[in-house]
Amino acid sequence: MMNFDKIKEAVNTIEMPKTMKNRVKKNCNIIEKKKNFKRRISVACAFGFLLLIMIGIPFFNNNGNFQVANFTITAYALSDDGNQPNTKLSSDKATFELSTEARGSTTDITGDAANFIFTKLMLNISGEHIDSITYTISKGKFIEDVTLTAKEYADKDWLLSKKIFMIGSSPGSDIYDGTKEIGNTYTVKYNEQDKYKYSIAIPHDGNLVIDDDIIIKVIVKYTDGSSEQQEIVVTQESNSIKSNSISLKLN
Amino acid sequence: MLQQLVWSNELDIERIVDKYGNMLFRMCLVILCNENDAEDVVQDTFITYLTKSPPFNDSEHEKAWLITIATNRCKNMRRYNIIRKHMDINDLQLYCKDDENYGLIEHLMRLPNKHKIVLLLYYVEGYKVDEIAKILGITTSAVKKRLQRGRELIREKYRKENE
Repeated sequence: MMNFDKIKEAVNTIEMPKTMKNRVKKNCNIIEKKKNFKRRISVACAFGFLLLIMIGIPFFNNNGNFQVANFTITAYALSDDGNQPNTKLSSDKATFELSTEARGSTTDITGDAANFIFTKLMLNISGEHIDSITYTISKGKFIEDVTLTAKEYADKDWLLSKKIFMIGSSPGSDIYDGTKEIGNTYTVKYNEQDKYKYSIAIPHDGNLVIDDDIIIKVIVKYTDGSSEQQEIVVTQESNSIKSNSISLKLN
Repeated sequence: MLQQLVWSNELDIERIVDKYGNMLFRMCLVILCNENDAEDVVQDTFITYLTKSPPFNDSEHEKAWLITIATNRCKNMRRYNIIRKHMDINDLQLYCKDDENYGLIEHLMRLPNKHKIVLLLYYVEGYKVDEIAKILGITTSAVKKRLQRGRELIREKYRKENE
């Protein structure tokens, strides 16, 4: 009679030889090491990729474009409809339809006003640990719109000393609007940017056409004493229906 | 941290080969009747264990998983390596400690795979019918039939040998 319980006893007498066991262990370890090597490579690649992203992030602005400096420049302009469109500048052109606010009815003290396109275009900087910002325009000047009393309006010497070279007035009002020349460069404290509403006046050829590109250099000084610079290229849209379309982009 | 992971994996290899190596080898040897194939399957099973690193509820779960992998590998090996020479009974002596049981093991080895796997799990590893059904992915009635047929085949061979 067959005793099936003896199967266990019989099969259990089979043993895996020690050499074979060691060989299996060794081979498993080799494969495991290869696997770990691959894992290390993967981890190293992933780490390198993350590092590249971390290093690269400061060099890309919000539009995903390459950016050398750690600050962003926003340009905004007053349009005819009273809106104030603004764009963070990048290497892509940002075009502004400028206000056609007439300055022809104004009194031009210096006789120089006709040579400029008054853009009503202003700049603002955002970033961290910034102490001051210096703007320098290659051609043209920065201007500020000021309000004058009748007494001030009447004092031409005072106006000239303050570089207020153009004055306009609303009929029946004793409040006058003046245009003050700031110059081709100015510096503001980062926290006081809102106090200085300086716009850009660009020289033209007499037919409201800008001959060459204009460069606005923006130098940012940080609280630790270091500084960074970006350049803005100002161009006129030649194919625009309106001659007062101005484009800005980072150089 | 990675070095610790390497060490822990080496320890894991030591542990599973020491704990389950014999069990898997004897099962594979009986199924495949060839020591080289049995060694290959055992090694493949452990590599699968290390590669997949599946989570187990307990050691019984771990053992059942290893048996499932090993038996499936054996089936594949038999399928694609059918003409490989079976082990000679004299070679079996190298792996068996007890001479008296050679005959029984030989009878078992000569059974069709599906019957000997079920007999091994039932009589050697002590699994119940429903547990074997789970491990092999078949129904309990199929397990019962295979057990019954396996027993009949061994009895038959045993009877013929004694006649």
